[in-house]
Amino acid sequence: MYDAPNLAESQVTQDNIKISARNVQVFYADTHAIKDVDVDILDKTVTAFIGPSGCGKSTFLRCINRMNDTIDICKVQGDIMLDGQDIYDKRVDPVQLRAKVGMVFQKPNPFPKSIYDNVAYGPRIHGLARTKADLDEIVEKSLRRAALWNEAKDRLDQPGTGLSGGQQQRLCIARAVATAPEVLLMDEPCSALDPIATAQVEELIDELRQEFSVVIVTHSMQQAARVSQKTAFFHLGHLVEYGETGQIFTNPEDERTESYITGRIG
Amino acid sequence: MPLIWLIVIVLAIAVAGYVLGRSRVMAATGGDSRKLHSLPSYYGYNVALKVVLPSFFLLLVWLLVQPVIVNGTVAADIPQSAIPEGSSRDLIMSEVRRTAEGLDNAVAQGIMTEDFATNARSDLNDVTQRLKDAGQIVTAQVTQPILQAAQRYRIMNDTGNLILSLLVILVAAAGAAWSLREMRPEFRARNVVERVVKGVLVAAASVAILTTLGIVLSLVFNTIEFFRLYPAGDFFFGTAWSPSFTGRGGSSELGVLPLLWGTFYISIVALLVAVPVGLFAAIYLSEYASPRVRSFAKPMLEVLAGIPTIVYGLFALLTVGPLLVAVFGKDGLGWMQAGTAVMTAGLVMGVMLIPFVSSLSDDIINAVPQAMRDGSYGLGATKSETIRQVVLPAALPGIVGAILLAASRAIGETMIVVLGAGAAARLSLNPFEAMTTVTAKIVSQLTGDADFASPEALVAFALGMTLFVITLGLNIFALYIVRKYREQYE
Amino acid sequence: MTDVTPNAGGNRAGNSLATQDARTKRRNRAEARFKAYGLTAILVGIFFLVVLAVSIIRSGSPAFTRTVVDVEFALSQAQINEAEEQLFKTAAYAAFFTDALKRQIDESGMEVAVDEDAIERIIGKPGSTIREFFQANPDRIGTPVTFELAASSRVDGYFNGRVTRESMQDSRFLMAGDLDLVDALAEAGVIRSSINWTFITGADSGVDNPGAAGIGASVVGSFFMMLVVLVLSLPIGVAASIYLEEFAPRNRFTDLIEVNISNLAAVPSIVFGILGLAIFIQFAHLPQSAPLVGGLVLTLMTLPTIIISTRASLRAVPPSIRDAALGVGASKMQSVFHHVLPLAMPGILTGTIIGLAQALGETAPLLLIGMVGFVARGYPDGIVSGFMDPNSAMPAQIYTWAARADASFYEKAWGGIIVLLVFLLTMNIIAIILRRRFERRW
Repeated sequence: MYDAPNLAESQVTQDNIKISARNVQVFYADTHAIKDVDVDILDKTVTAFIGPSGCGKSTFLRCINRMNDTIDICKVQGDIMLDGQDIYDKRVDPVQLRAKVGMVFQKPNPFPKSIYDNVAYGPRIHGLARTKADLDEIVEKSLRRAALWNEAKDRLDQPGTGLSGGQQQRLCIARAVATAPEVLLMDEPCSALDPIATAQVEELIDELRQEFSVVIVTHSMQQAARVSQKTAFFHLGHLVEYGETGQIFTNPEDERTESYITGRIG
Repeated sequence: MPLIWLIVIVLAIAVAGYVLGRSRVMAATGGDSRKLHSLPSYYGYNVALKVVLPSFFLLLVWLLVQPVIVNGTVAADIPQSAIPEGSSRDLIMSEVRRTAEGLDNAVAQGIMTEDFATNARSDLNDVTQRLKDAGQIVTAQVTQPILQAAQRYRIMNDTGNLILSLLVILVAAAGAAWSLREMRPEFRARNVVERVVKGVLVAAASVAILTTLGIVLSLVFNTIEFFRLYPAGDFFFGTAWSPSFTGRGGSSELGVLPLLWGTFYISIVALLVAVPVGLFAAIYLSEYASPRVRSFAKPMLEVLAGIPTIVYGLFALLTVGPLLVAVFGKDGLGWMQAGTAVMTAGLVMGVMLIPFVSSLSDDIINAVPQAMRDGSYGLGATKSETIRQVVLPAALPGIVGAILLAASRAIGETMIVVLGAGAAARLSLNPFEAMTTVTAKIVSQLTGDADFASPEALVAFALGMTLFVITLGLNIFALYIVRKYREQYE
Repeated sequence: MTDVTPNAGGNRAGNSLATQDARTKRRNRAEARFKAYGLTAILVGIFFLVVLAVSIIRSGSPAFTRTVVDVEFALSQAQINEAEEQLFKTAAYAAFFTDALKRQIDESGMEVAVDEDAIERIIGKPGSTIREFFQANPDRIGTPVTFELAASSRVDGYFNGRVTRESMQDSRFLMAGDLDLVDALAEAGVIRSSINWTFITGADSGVDNPGAAGIGASVVGSFFMMLVVLVLSLPIGVAASIYLEEFAPRNRFTDLIEVNISNLAAVPSIVFGILGLAIFIQFAHLPQSAPLVGGLVLTLMTLPTIIISTRASLRAVPPSIRDAALGVGASKMQSVFHHVLPLAMPGILTGTIIGLAQALGETAPLLLIGMVGFVARGYPDGIVSGFMDPNSAMPAQIYTWAARADASFYEKAWGGIIVLLVFLLTMNIIAIILRRRFERRW
């Protein structure tokens, strides 16, 4: 179903490391949710985080754009560098960070506004468009990017909540894309969708790779195999194994990875 | 027989019935409760319920009906000639009741013998004097027809009470006898008791309906009575409010418009204070405040809601009013004549409504799903951008509902306006002038000396009806909006 | 397809995350402003609360003290005989008293002119008090007795700061010169403040005697009213809630009840007063101003509150408890009364206390059923008369005082509010303790 773009995989160098995490620990009050995670996430690549539920993959994802800041009891230690800059530096404004590192959530969460305003929300707050025409252009391009333009172009002024689940999720992707991020984080973006919508979104993810570094959390191993080039397996808060997707699924090094892939744990 | 004794007797029969019912059925099985259909106590409860319920029901109905019948019969017997010019049958009847009560008291104090009280036909002076001795306030000389009516009233009431006591005890005893006969081991006592209890529960729940019915009936009948005396058109569209003080004149102008204007003006001032403060307080509490600040500030604000309105009324009259006069009065800016004004009442009412708006809005803002906020933060929005552009639009219907509920509170508020807004009904735009409201006039028209049958008193019911309809409309609309809003996120 | 970001970089000139660009700075300032608005709103609310509390305490606390004059003097049998022979007996007693007071002042070595009129203006006419005392206690004749006499309300005001030398106008009640005497007496310890028990335990006085007004009788009135509310609203409210929460089928009748309850909760309280007036007084001929009627009206008003909170606590009991009871063969009724109700009881009681506190402070309906304007001059004689005889209630008494022309009653009104708030506070604290102690999270 998915042709692995071998070209990209073979050219991995130090240069296109987008995010590098070192020794990351996350605590929820007294619970140690993420333990010693080191990982390098590449630019223009889809990286999948897999693992059984509660393994910390979503938590780690939320660390990358500091979404965990909104949770009072959550504490993050260690370094996460975006283009060589520590995002947990005191001087870093999480608002600016999140403009660069966009996020798509598990459940489609369109704002209670029109489709147009949903997509235009990010560009407006970040001041990406100088004129109305600029904004129209961004909205159209983002909707096209999210493969929603044809369905939505005649109903841009209707509420985003009126779309179907799959359309809503693509709207959320369009919304994230419109902000012109460099990294796109996706937290189980297909878990609330039916198979057809899932296929559409997966296709979209593959397209987005040309532009962004995409990190996707999924509980479906098949999905990880279909869309990603790199896969990281999390278990009980540890990053157990990280490598080429093909290798992780065909020839895992760690026993736990193999157990999970073959369905013995999880 | 005093009522309390009657109740005690019935309860005693019930307790005896419980013990008897229980022991009887136990005896029938030779003390082995396993052979019973239900637990032994259910047999006891069955008897007790059948004693208490019918007899108390009878008691309640009788107590409600007897005064109506007695009043009606006695009133009908007062000859037309005994009603002086300018008085009414109702007024005479209240005098009759007073006299009857006086006779009761006099007998109780030993100033009159029972015989004297029932036969005191001749010497009216003597009766009046003796009544005064007994501490009864008798307006004037007791006249012959009034005395006769009063005596009749007493006799009818006494007979009624006697019959009532006998009947109630009889019903209680019959209930006991009937249910005791049922006491066989295979009798399904639990099912019967549970059915009865369920009936009681339904009756309790119906009190809400009865209350509404009572409100509507008391408003409707008196309002109709009012419109018979005063044209409805003049009431709804009249722009002047000047009831005559005699309580009997046809010169009263009873237009509701100035009162409605005062009501709305004060409510608007109140909402202008309460909505911004309450809303921002709710936003701060739900989105910004740390748990510690929240656990301190939220109860502090809620204390404002727990303070009785009389306190706010006094605060308006004695603290805020004089303060405003000092600033805006003739020593200051010269806009204000006296402490009681739209501004005074509106400000204080606004303070009262702050916690109302803030806690309702707080709930509603909290009901906006976190996913919505995450979506916005994920795009790099700041908190305030998220709140203004995502959370508030999402919560808007609910907040509108909360504001409408607050408005209905403001419109129905009485004590603050009675004490803080003044008594003059006028149509004016100056917020520093005294104005009055529907609620304040309900109080003043019904607490004065006016005769209940006069349009000056009855107008209060028409005002009450107006108030009831407006607040009910607002409430239903607001609750509908809030419910729709809640369903959206459930 | 590569150029989705037409303006990317344009507005993000310094690509470093560590430095804020101009737009982010502006947005962060807007953020700080917005947050400040919220904080201001909270502070405004708390500010009002503080102002309210301060003005209540400042204006109300003088009601709890009164100014008394302590004079110690002895009266011999001969003096009494002399006084009793005179035409104005009390005046003769007063003269003895004035002499004693003068002596006391002289002994303390102060140079103040004392004239009888001034003394009369300060402490009224003490003669009758003294005469009555010695008539009642003939054995005390000849021994020194200390009399504690209430000072006039204007002297009271002078001590409380309500009357100052500047605001004083010479009148037949008090002259400016009298204040010198008052100061002197205060220095000598003859005039002092003491707790005004009359206010706490006494009954209302007439419109012309603010000094003797007390809140005690209306506290009793409120107590009987609350008894009625408690006895009626708790069982009815609980029964209604149990029905609606546990047994009611989903049908029109249930919907009707639900709609009625939620609307009654928002009906203005004055409308309940109209209901009480029309149904209980006009139709059923219950006595006006009686705590029973007040209690009935407040019951109807409190019921929705109690039903709503009771239903919430019933709903908080997890269904598993009901299933467990039903599973061992209990009937639905048994599962509710044996298991659900006891578990919900703390919540129900908390809600009831809060409902009662609300009812205790409610004034408007009481105005209409005649609890205002009525001067509660004494305590009820017994339980039945406690329910049936006209009485006032705390909030109604406060309103009566506030509506009186004499400004001296305002102090009483504020004092009454302190008493009322103490009751409300106590009830709420009990509710909070109940909730803290028994609250259970499932």
